[in-house]
Amino acid sequence: MKHGEEKGSMLARLDWIFLFAVLALMGIGILFIYSASYRGDNEWMTELTRKQAVWAVAGLVAFALAVMTDYRQLADNAWWLFIVCLVLLVLVLFMGVKIYGSTRWLNLFGIQVQPSEFAKIGTLLVLAHYLSPPSRDMASAKTFFAVFGLMAIPFVLVLQQPDLGTALMLLPVTLALLFVGGVPLRYLVILGVIGLLLSPLGWYVLDDYQKERILVFLDPGRDPLGAGWNKIQSEIAVGSGGLGGKGYLMGTQNILGFLPRTVAPTDFIFSVIAEESGFAGAALVLGLYAVILGCGIRAAIRARDRLGRLLAAGITTSLFCHMFVNIAMTVGLAPITGLPLPLISYGGSFMISTMVGLGLVQSVYVRRIDR
Amino acid sequence: MIERGQRWRLLLVIGVIALVWTGLGARLAYLHLGANDHLRERIESIRTVENDILVGRGRILDRTGNIMALDLALKHVFVDPKMVLESGHGRFITAQLARMLELDPAMVASKVNRPDRRFEYVKTFVHQDVAADIRSMGLNGVHFEDVSARYYPRGVLLSHVLGFSNLEGVGSAGVEQRFDRYLKGVPGLRITEVDGRRREVYERRGVDIKPQEGADVFLTIDQNLQYFVERALDRAMVDHSAKGAWAIVQHVRTGEILAMAARPDFDPNEYRRAPEDHRLNRTIGFTYEPGSTFKVAVFAAAFNEGLITPDEIVDCENGRWIHNGRPLRDFHPYGKLTIADALKKSSNIAAAKIALELGEERLYNYLRAFGVGRTTGISLPGEEAGILNPRNRWTSLSISRIAMGHEVAVTSLQLVNMLSAIGNNGFLMKPRVVNKVVNIKGETVVAVSDEVLGRPIRGETARLMTRLLARITETGGTGARARVDGYTVAGKTGTAQKPVRGGYSDHDNIASFMGLIPAEDPQLSIIVVVDEPQPEHTGGRVAAPVYQEIASQAVRYLDIPPVPQDLAARFTAQYVERTK
Repeated sequence: MKHGEEKGSMLARLDWIFLFAVLALMGIGILFIYSASYRGDNEWMTELTRKQAVWAVAGLVAFALAVMTDYRQLADNAWWLFIVCLVLLVLVLFMGVKIYGSTRWLNLFGIQVQPSEFAKIGTLLVLAHYLSPPSRDMASAKTFFAVFGLMAIPFVLVLQQPDLGTALMLLPVTLALLFVGGVPLRYLVILGVIGLLLSPLGWYVLDDYQKERILVFLDPGRDPLGAGWNKIQSEIAVGSGGLGGKGYLMGTQNILGFLPRTVAPTDFIFSVIAEESGFAGAALVLGLYAVILGCGIRAAIRARDRLGRLLAAGITTSLFCHMFVNIAMTVGLAPITGLPLPLISYGGSFMISTMVGLGLVQSVYVRRIDR
Repeated sequence: MIERGQRWRLLLVIGVIALVWTGLGARLAYLHLGANDHLRERIESIRTVENDILVGRGRILDRTGNIMALDLALKHVFVDPKMVLESGHGRFITAQLARMLELDPAMVASKVNRPDRRFEYVKTFVHQDVAADIRSMGLNGVHFEDVSARYYPRGVLLSHVLGFSNLEGVGSAGVEQRFDRYLKGVPGLRITEVDGRRREVYERRGVDIKPQEGADVFLTIDQNLQYFVERALDRAMVDHSAKGAWAIVQHVRTGEILAMAARPDFDPNEYRRAPEDHRLNRTIGFTYEPGSTFKVAVFAAAFNEGLITPDEIVDCENGRWIHNGRPLRDFHPYGKLTIADALKKSSNIAAAKIALELGEERLYNYLRAFGVGRTTGISLPGEEAGILNPRNRWTSLSISRIAMGHEVAVTSLQLVNMLSAIGNNGFLMKPRVVNKVVNIKGETVVAVSDEVLGRPIRGETARLMTRLLARITETGGTGARARVDGYTVAGKTGTAQKPVRGGYSDHDNIASFMGLIPAEDPQLSIIVVVDEPQPEHTGGRVAAPVYQEIASQAVRYLDIPPVPQDLAARFTAQYVERTK
């Protein structure tokens, strides 16, 4: 009975539209990482482009493995995976590689990995696993606090790096799991009210540079050559694209380095796309993301069990938050945070973790029950 | 399958995502497609840089190539107060700046302690060496700006001719003003784009107009001669408690001005501190009734018309002559004199009679021909034309008054130029202070050549006048004190009472002497004017000695040989010989 409703082979049951969107976004990412790292010399491929291509292939392999892995078996080992992630997070704090003032990377056999990326999946997995048994009483306060307790461990560890952006990403995912899992609404409302009331206190937790980013977001003219520079330049880049953009490799904001070279291929890749391919290109990216999110929710709706639904919804929420925060930042709707754009931004760990996440969504989807 | 009653939760998630995505799309559309002209303009303005490529102002040099004016490369020192304060060494930097720039530390502190500011000048026009020393200290937030400043190495020397250029580098007086067009050069213009680090992107350079450096102006002035003249004037100012004094040395044949100076003067390096009155070049910008020196023109005109001869007798009426109901007086009463002696003794009555013989029309025409009442056209700003009333405004008394140098106003330049014409066989030359303009490549852009303005009198008249004027510096002549040992000077004194309300002042005079040297073959024409000398006030006693001082140094310096004694004696006696 368990596998009885699954018709056809795994390949046939795969969501091909979803996969097409993923591949397209990866392609766009590689294309514009080239543009963002292009320096006018006749290199046919820049170093960053080459690396990203390798990461993309590695990501696809990870995706395939994740699809083939039964998410239920994976969830059975959720605790172990979670512990491994926590160990890695602790290791980072002691033997991590320090880049730009924070220690986020771990050097594993010559490859730098970012354990916080994998901790996101690990946490998600363990929370979904914890919430999935039908016996779990969603209405009990114990469940509620247990979930937040589990989440708090990686949250605090990531915060120590410090990487506020990634740590904060754990919050909406947790809330989404609770929400989709069926926690009574009043809990979430009370939580929301408490959060609102406490948020002013958060100001004192922030570092000076973070405060500055928020202030600059509210008033970009505050320090146009310093903290406000990236925001203004990014907005200019997007705005100057027009309908069809300035053409590939023709974005002056990008090529001339007004968008700083260090962030153009990563956090600000979307401004490069928006400048060079205009509204058309930006809307295309937005559309492809919508396809992925839609497919993610569809996987959640059609999941055969609560675990699958929680996994698909959680991963989709996480991706959604990344996409939103990053794009909102480049179009000037959110303060500057160091969050990358899924599938497009340069970066290996994030690519792999994203693809593992997407693979898990598909793992849920291919094991759906057909009506 | 999904539990009943839970499905709405996922639908809500879809709704939230759809809503957010619509928002992002709207924002993108707004940025991309909306009124984003200001963004594009913003890009242009951030990226496009218009650079005026400044050029150095040309130099001004004297006739032998001594530099009289040049541009110095200096630096403005400014601070970024925010950066200074954030460096944490605010007090140290303040103290160092105050020490290096010799400023009051409190003043520097007041400029640095403004964390809201990003730009404050600490000191402008700082010498390169000092700026380099400060730079080598590597102080945070201390920056430099290249500027050039006009510098006049000789200070007050030649100030009125040089003029000055203002803080914007625009010539505002003297040669600096008149030749500004050549001196300033043509600033280049480069419109180009810069990248995020404000470095120029060469491929995107649009307009690129090469600058043209300012050209050098070579004067006719001789720095050393100028120095002699100015020293003599300074002495005269003190000796005679004068209100002013000025002098011109002109080369007779060419009209070139070799020296031109006036007191009071100013330092062009500090021109802003000089009162307007001190900036006036009195040799060209001060007009006055010339008095007796003007008789030269009247006598020359009458000789040229053949109306008089040197040994003809004129009745000087014992010093008092009623003309048209008004008395005319001589300073010393004389009876009957030869015309030659009447000039030598500067008889007003004789001059009036000669003018009457010429008649108004001819007198007027000769004076015009000598350049009275119009500017000489010297290439200096502020030249006055003087006053020679048109004939229809003359009264019946005008002709006798003009004859003795009243009722007309002239500049000293007009007078000396007139005298030069007499020394130059009657050719009136255009006086000039500039020889040539040479650009940075060494090409002569402007070559000023000698220009004849006219020939008011014939050569023989001119030579006769020179001989007669030479008698004035003989013993007993009014200009005896102008005599230069070994040389003959042909000149004329002038003592003009200054006009005051309702008549002429009893005690305020303008004493002048102008003379040609050597008279036998005139090379230099020199005029000396002393304004309100006290207590001595006559041209012969005040101005003639100054002339003597200037002329004796000038002939030695310029290596003008004296004419042998016997020849010289014959020269002055010549008119007598011929007429006897």
